[in-house]
Amino acid sequence: MHDPLTVTLRRLVAAPAFVGYAVLAATAAAYLVVYTTSLGHPPTSFDYLSILNTALPLVYVALGQSLVVLTGGIDLSVGGVMSLCIAITASTVDGPGAAAFGWVFAILALGAACGAVNGLIVARARIAPILTTLATLSVFSGLALRVLPVPGGSISTGVRTVLTNPNQPTGLLWLALAVGCWLALRRTRFGMRVFAVGSDERSAVAVGVPAAWVKVGVYTLSGLCSALAAVFFVSTTTAGDANAGQPFILTSIAAVVVGGVAFSGGRGSALGAIAGAFALTLVIDVLFFAGIDPLYQSLFQGLFLVVAVLLGTATALVSRRRRAAS
Amino acid sequence: MSAEVEGGRRRWAAGVTPGARRVLYAFGAAAAVLAVGSVLHPGFAAWSSLRVMLVVASFTGFVAAGQMLVVLVGGIDLSIPWVLNAAAIVLTTTSLGQTSRLPLAIAAALGLGALVGCVNGVGVAVLGVPAVVMTLGMDGVLQGLSLGLSKGLTCPSCGSYAPRPLRDLFVGRFLGIPAELLVWVGVALLVTVLLTLTTFGRRVYAVGVNANAAFLAGLPVRAVTIALYGLSGVFAAAAGIALVGYGGQPSLGLGDPYLFASIAAVVVGGVSILGGRGHYAGVVAGALTLVAIITFLQAQRVPEYARSIIYGLVILVILFTYGRDKAHD
Repeated sequence: MHDPLTVTLRRLVAAPAFVGYAVLAATAAAYLVVYTTSLGHPPTSFDYLSILNTALPLVYVALGQSLVVLTGGIDLSVGGVMSLCIAITASTVDGPGAAAFGWVFAILALGAACGAVNGLIVARARIAPILTTLATLSVFSGLALRVLPVPGGSISTGVRTVLTNPNQPTGLLWLALAVGCWLALRRTRFGMRVFAVGSDERSAVAVGVPAAWVKVGVYTLSGLCSALAAVFFVSTTTAGDANAGQPFILTSIAAVVVGGVAFSGGRGSALGAIAGAFALTLVIDVLFFAGIDPLYQSLFQGLFLVVAVLLGTATALVSRRRRAAS
Repeated sequence: MSAEVEGGRRRWAAGVTPGARRVLYAFGAAAAVLAVGSVLHPGFAAWSSLRVMLVVASFTGFVAAGQMLVVLVGGIDLSIPWVLNAAAIVLTTTSLGQTSRLPLAIAAALGLGALVGCVNGVGVAVLGVPAVVMTLGMDGVLQGLSLGLSKGLTCPSCGSYAPRPLRDLFVGRFLGIPAELLVWVGVALLVTVLLTLTTFGRRVYAVGVNANAAFLAGLPVRAVTIALYGLSGVFAAAAGIALVGYGGQPSLGLGDPYLFASIAAVVVGGVSILGGRGHYAGVVAGALTLVAIITFLQAQRVPEYARSIIYGLVILVILFTYGRDKAHD
C-alpha cells in the first residue's frame, strides 16, 4: 500500500492544482488526436512553440488573477490595465535598442501602479473588490482609448526576439519565470499571508497579519502581471488595439477556476491557473482542427468552464469521502 | 463622537430604516446628477429630455430588476447580456413580424430566459458552482448558440421585424406618457410587492442575510435561489423583448452594455453586494442616475474615452459615499 508510486499519485490527486493538471492533460490529448487525424502528422516543434507564445499573455494574467482570488477577491480591471498597457506598448516600444526596453520597464511600473490603486480602494476604502475593479476597468479602458484611438502601432524586433521569438523557444524561459516566481512567492512571508487572509481574514488580523497591506500587495502584483501580459500580447500579435484586453477578464477568471483555485479564497495554487490558461488556449486549437464552426466557439468554452468546475467539486467530494472512510 | 451628536443623528433617523435610508441616498444621487446637469446644460432636466432618459433607463431597469434579486441572496448574474440577446433573436425569428404569432413568440422568449435562469440556479444552489463561474459559463453557452444557430444573424428569418403591436407598446404614448414607462412602473410595482408583501419576499431577505440561519429555520433555501435566478433570466429576456420592440430588430451584441449597467444600477441603488439589503425603488433611481450621467456627457460632446473615464470615476465617488462595506448600520 505504501509503495512510492501510490504515495506520489495520492499526493498528486490531493494537490490543489490537480484539477487543472487533469483538465490540461485531457485537452492536450484531445489536441494531439484532433491535430494528427486532420493533418496526418503529429504537431511539430513549431506548433508547440506557437501555442506557448499564444498562451503566455493569459498565463501571466491568470497568475495575477489567482493571487487576488486567493485572498477572496476578484480583479475585473485586468482587462483595462492590459488594454492600457497594450496601447502604450504598441505606440512607444518600436525604436531599436535600450530605449525600447526602458519603455517596457516604465509600462510594467505603470501596470503595478494601476493595481496599487485598486488595492488601496479595496483595502482602505472597504469597497467590494468586484465593484472597485468594475469602476476602475471603465477608467483604465478610457485611458487606453485615449492613448491609441485606432488599432495599430508596432513593436521593436529587438524586444520581440527576447520575449516571443518565433524561432527560438525563449517563451520557455518566461514560462519558467512565472512558475518560479509563484514557487518562491508561496514560501515567503507574504505568500503565507495571502493564504491566511483568504482563509479567514478576521483570524489573520487577530494574529497580527496586516491584511490591508497584503491586499494592496496582491492587486499591485495583479496589475504588474497584466502589464507583463500586455507586453507579451503585443509581442506575439505585433500590433495594438485599445480593446484587446477585454477578453482576458473572462478568460483569466476561467483559467483560475479551471485551475482549481477556490473562489472563496485561501485554497488553490497559481500553478493550477497556469495549467488552466494552457488548457483554455488549447481548446481553441482543438475546436479549430475538429472543424467546428468558430461561431460556436464560446459555446464550448462556456461548457468547458462549467464542466471543469463540476469535475473539481466531484474530486473534492470523492477525496473527502475517502478520507472519512479511512 | 460625542453623545449629543449621536443622539441628534438617532432622532433624524428615527423611523427611517437603514434600507429606506439607502433608497434616499440613491434618489439623492439621481437628483444631484440632474441638478448639476441642469446648471451646466440648461434644459437638461426638462420633461422632454427627462422623458427620453427615463425610457432609456427603463431597459437598464428591467435587467437590474433581475440582477438585484440575485444580488439580494449574495449571488451575481453574468449571463444577462446573451440571455437578453438570445431572447431578442428568438422573439423576431419566432414571430416573423406577424401579429398572430406574437403571443407564442413572447412566451418562447420569456420561457428561454426562465429556463436558462433556472439552469443557473440549479448550478449554483444544487451543484455548488460559484455564481460567477456558472453564469459566466452560461453566457458563453448562449453566445455560442445565438451566433451558431442564427449563423451570425444571417439566417433567412433573422431579418424579421418585431410585430406591430409590440412596437406600438414600446414607442407609443398613453396620456402623454411613453407607454414603455408604464410598463416599467408595472415592473417596479410587481418587484416591490413581491419583495415586501409576500412570504417569498421575506424568504429572499432571510436567505440573503444569512443562508445558514435561513436553512436551519426550515426555509427552502435552494428553491428560493433557483427561483431568483429563474426570475433574473425572465427579466433579462423581458429587456430583450423591450429593446426589440423599441428598435424593431435585434442585433448581435445588443446585450453587451447591460452587464456593467445592471450591476452598477443595483449598487448605485443602494443594494448591498453582499446580499440581504436593498429595495427596487433605489435601483430605479440608480438606473436613472447612470443614464443621466451618460446622456449629460454625450450632450456636452465629451469624447468616448473621457466618457468612459468619468463614468468610472463617478461610480467610484458614489461607492465612496454610500457603497462601503461595514460603513453604515
